Amino acid sequence: MSFKNLGAAALIGALSLTISASVGIAEDAAKPVTGGTLIYLEQQAHTNLYPPAGGFYPNGGVLNQITDKLTYQNPKTLEIEPWIAQSWTVNENATEYTFRLRAGVTFSDGSPLDANAVAKNYDTFGLGNKALKQPVSEVINNYDHSEVIDPLTIKFYFKRPSPGFLQGTSVIGSGLVSLATLALPFEQLGDATKIIGSGPFVVESETLGKELSLKARQDYNWGPPKFKHQGRAYLDGIKFVITGEDSVRIGALLSGQADFIRQVQAYDEEQVESQGYKIYAPPTRGVNNSVVFRPDNPLVADLRVRRALLHGTNTQEIVSTLFSVNYPQAKSIIASTAQGYVDLSSKLAYDPAEAAKLLDDAGWKAGANGVRAKDGQPLILTAYESPPQPQNKATLQLVAQQWAKLGVTLNVLAGDAGSKTVDDLDPDKTPVSPAMVGRADPDVIKSQYYPKNRDVLRQKGGLSDKVKSFADGRLNGLLEQLSSEPDPAKRLTIAGEVQNYVIDQAYAIPIFEEPQAFAGAPYVQGVAFEAVGRPSFYSIWLAEH
Amino acid sequence: MARYVLSRTGQALLVLWAAFTISFVLLQAMPGDAVLIKFQNPEYGLGPEQLADIRAAYAADGSLASQYLQTIGNFLTGNFGYSLQRGVAVSAQLAVNLPSTIQLAGLGFATALILAVILAIFCNIPGLGRLRSFIHSIPSLFVSVPTFWLGIMLIQIFSFRLKLVPVINPGPWEGLILPVLTVAVPISAPMAQLLLRNVDEVLTRPFVAVVRAKGASHYWVLWRHVARNASLPVLTVAGVLFGELLAGAVVTEAVFGLNGIGGLAEQAVTSQDVAVLQAIVVISAATFVAINLAIDLLYPVLDPRLKTKLGTAR
Repeated sequence: MSFKNLGAAALIGALSLTISASVGIAEDAAKPVTGGTLIYLEQQAHTNLYPPAGGFYPNGGVLNQITDKLTYQNPKTLEIEPWIAQSWTVNENATEYTFRLRAGVTFSDGSPLDANAVAKNYDTFGLGNKALKQPVSEVINNYDHSEVIDPLTIKFYFKRPSPGFLQGTSVIGSGLVSLATLALPFEQLGDATKIIGSGPFVVESETLGKELSLKARQDYNWGPPKFKHQGRAYLDGIKFVITGEDSVRIGALLSGQADFIRQVQAYDEEQVESQGYKIYAPPTRGVNNSVVFRPDNPLVADLRVRRALLHGTNTQEIVSTLFSVNYPQAKSIIASTAQGYVDLSSKLAYDPAEAAKLLDDAGWKAGANGVRAKDGQPLILTAYESPPQPQNKATLQLVAQQWAKLGVTLNVLAGDAGSKTVDDLDPDKTPVSPAMVGRADPDVIKSQYYPKNRDVLRQKGGLSDKVKSFADGRLNGLLEQLSSEPDPAKRLTIAGEVQNYVIDQAYAIPIFEEPQAFAGAPYVQGVAFEAVGRPSFYSIWLAEH
Repeated sequence: MARYVLSRTGQALLVLWAAFTISFVLLQAMPGDAVLIKFQNPEYGLGPEQLADIRAAYAADGSLASQYLQTIGNFLTGNFGYSLQRGVAVSAQLAVNLPSTIQLAGLGFATALILAVILAIFCNIPGLGRLRSFIHSIPSLFVSVPTFWLGIMLIQIFSFRLKLVPVINPGPWEGLILPVLTVAVPISAPMAQLLLRNVDEVLTRPFVAVVRAKGASHYWVLWRHVARNASLPVLTVAGVLFGELLAGAVVTEAVFGLNGIGGLAEQAVTSQDVAVLQAIVVISAATFVAINLAIDLLYPVLDPRLKTKLGTAR
């Protein structure tokens, strides 16, 4: 074949390809195809799959395919819709919840998903199980006990109002598992094949730390009723392959060895999109990616110092230098897509002149070496990087550069989990810390700041016994109100008050709204995420390619 | 000979026990512990009382001596415990990771040896002239190639560009080609260097001249007389290189997303998963000790002079 002919043949080939491709897309968009296995590359292997541990993204990514929840939170409206529970009633002060379950739902081991199973699940999540070492779920507040009214009706009682509970029944951490799974001790729940749920996929096999194969459950017929898609999942199966290297995940996707990947760095987005692949960046709708202070440390105990650092942080520069449009600049401590969000951008302005003035007022004078000092003590702060957060080290280092212009030193440390966890509990060693948490309910603010929960500010009586005196009664009072106010409108008002209060006290410097970043091949259709960015593969199908 | 074997074996067991004890003490001395790291993880959002309950449930506050005795007792009965971080039995993790590391390290080592021998043979082909000095410099090139970079390059070129071997879902042997090469290249360098130097050195020995004078051909001399003499130091260094091989395997496993003891150890260190670490330390020590023991026992076989010294020759 001459060159000319070769060219002509190639042209014809290309033309026919585009024609068939466009026809294919038109047809595909109308009609999902059943079959095929999705190759999904995960950055990290799952750890313990006890459902309340679903906050760890790799765990949530697995649990979301194999378990169902009592309710479904619509990721667009954030409303709570029926799922395994077809209806529910809540008493006036949100201390009693009654759920009416859908009939005929079974776990993949054949056992029924009835009121008894739900009771056992929630008693475990709400109270923990000491004998089996299963911890309490952080999303369930004030849980008292359950009562099975009849095989399909269950009632939950709370010691105090628990308005966040209904949303709490929709989160990853509330995935329902069979009695057989709940009977296993915590230290055996990392074996995915032992996690028996009622979800659209079932664990088929697992190579620890490397691969996980899920297969579709043929008799699955209880997806959220408002979904257009009912019945079994379109895919026959999903193969999770753990691929830790960023460049290998991207390369494998772009060379056709994988269909969908998690954790795409912002700087790789352009390369993916330029080749016709899609970036998905669902928001996590919770507390923004921030830097928080531990005011128990005398260096940051003064409000003026914290406010100086807040105004000395150029979040716009951080977002535009290190991230992409998928990482919106933060305007409050919670995301603009979160419930109860108020825009506080006027209080978060970058103002280095104001920052310098505040530091001068607080008595921190610039020394000969450029570092501010007071009574001979230099203003040197320390923060540990948090590897799970996107480009956290780079973010902290940029913050350190910005603060250095004010004469404040921020040392960014990478530590092994041991020394990091221990030092991070001690405000004297770690006065500054990165923080974020995702959950689509105002309770998330309490989760983050309340001393009996994540306690990011390190208050006395909280997680750490190293705290000498810092406690903020006003903040804690607001957080308690937030998690126990039954009136939804009043609750959102309180959520607004907390946001204002945290910023007025400059306890946190919100930086950006954190998404979960995925990339997929163009033929992967029907991609969906739950309310905080875990993928849902139930409705995914593979178009011709 | 029996006494020699016995004393060497006894030493090996002593080393093993010391490795266990030292690692136990070091792990206990590290700040924090597995329970703290696992449950104070923000993903759980547990309060102080709940954490105290969990600590009690895991008996994480027991005395050091009792924990030591319990752990060593469990190990002797083959019970490695559970990985707190992963939520699976340590034995299950080892069952998955150990064979793949052995496979990778074994094939890597064999490939490295072959590469080294090929280089040594090439260098000793008569009449190479300038090419010889080029081949001589290859080991220095190999030794300076970072494993991580080499792995990524091999993937980019052979998997993503040329599409010769997939990295995702490869066949069992297909998946080993690139990782084995990645491990082998840096390890082959010191072996080749040593082999080349030894061959050159042995060739200058008087006995070689004698053999040559008797009319032996170049290859006869190399094979029958030089190879044996030159390979002894290479064997010694091979034992040491095994450690380096494992280090290379850790990086390679990470790059290729392979299972292996290296990756397992790395995760266990970051989460201070004591049960896993303890098992890995003991198994690695046992492997290392076994390899060195085998080399010690092989010496007399390769070098008859040692046999005489040990009083086993007739």
